[in-house]
Amino acid sequence: MTFDPDAELVARIARGDRAAASALMARHLPKMLALARRMLSDRTEAEDVAQEAFLKVWTHAARWKPGKAKFETWLYRVTLNQCYDRLRRKPTLDLEAAAHLADPEPGPQKALEDTVLAAEVERALASLPERQRAAVVLCHYRGCGNIEAAEILGISVEALESLLSRGRRTLRTKLAHLKDL
Amino acid sequence: MQTQEEQNAADAAFAARALDLLADEPVPAALEARILGDFDRLAAAPSLAARLAQAIRRASETIWPGAPLWQPACVLALSLILGLAAGMLVPSSALVHDNSDVMQTASLDAPPQLDLSGGEL
Repeated sequence: MTFDPDAELVARIARGDRAAASALMARHLPKMLALARRMLSDRTEAEDVAQEAFLKVWTHAARWKPGKAKFETWLYRVTLNQCYDRLRRKPTLDLEAAAHLADPEPGPQKALEDTVLAAEVERALASLPERQRAAVVLCHYRGCGNIEAAEILGISVEALESLLSRGRRTLRTKLAHLKDL
Repeated sequence: MQTQEEQNAADAAFAARALDLLADEPVPAALEARILGDFDRLAAAPSLAARLAQAIRRASETIWPGAPLWQPACVLALSLILGLAAGMLVPSSALVHDNSDVMQTASLDAPPQLDLSGGEL
């Protein structure tokens, strides 16, 4: 059985321990939010996804059985599934929104260039098919290994490697015109 | 000419540089407050399902302390199955002594009907 660093916190949450809830949130919320933000290209929706995912944690904590799967794997799977649900509700990619979020703001020249570059990357990422995007984002922002990412996505490691390879290749093709990368 | 592996490594390095450009955004304090607010709300008023689950767990702990929930549940299910099987397979005493074929009824509070006229004799 693998050690689950969250198991104790989840058990305390099931008993209504607010400090444990706060600690679990502090541990996972930044990465969950980054994941949802990169998946949805929308800050408000990403926040809603994170809130809904934690609501599931609060309601399911009492039923959590340690030892089956790592809690973190379940948590990120819930987050990703909610992202997929929201993506399906808006059939076309909201590239305008993606661009808008990273709109350049007035400021020094370097900051402006960085913001323009970030907007380009954001658009390229948003245009990837959702499974490829999930694979790329999970491995980059969560820094999880291929085995863990495959578990979260519910696919084999080979399938994940294929998604990653295609996603990264597409990103590179779409951003090939950027000289600064 | 790059091999497939070299090309994959180059793609990965490029993607990593590109994604690093997307700055991490701080978690808004309002979001943290909303999430903990949900926790407080649920802790103050647990759902019906949670209360039911808690009651079942408590009852199970009373009946069979320390056992996982499935054990008392299995025993209960088994006893139900045995009870139903017994009910269906074992004939009841009413059926064993069934004499409905020769059943006669007589009203005890009515006067006996005696025909002294001889009838058709």
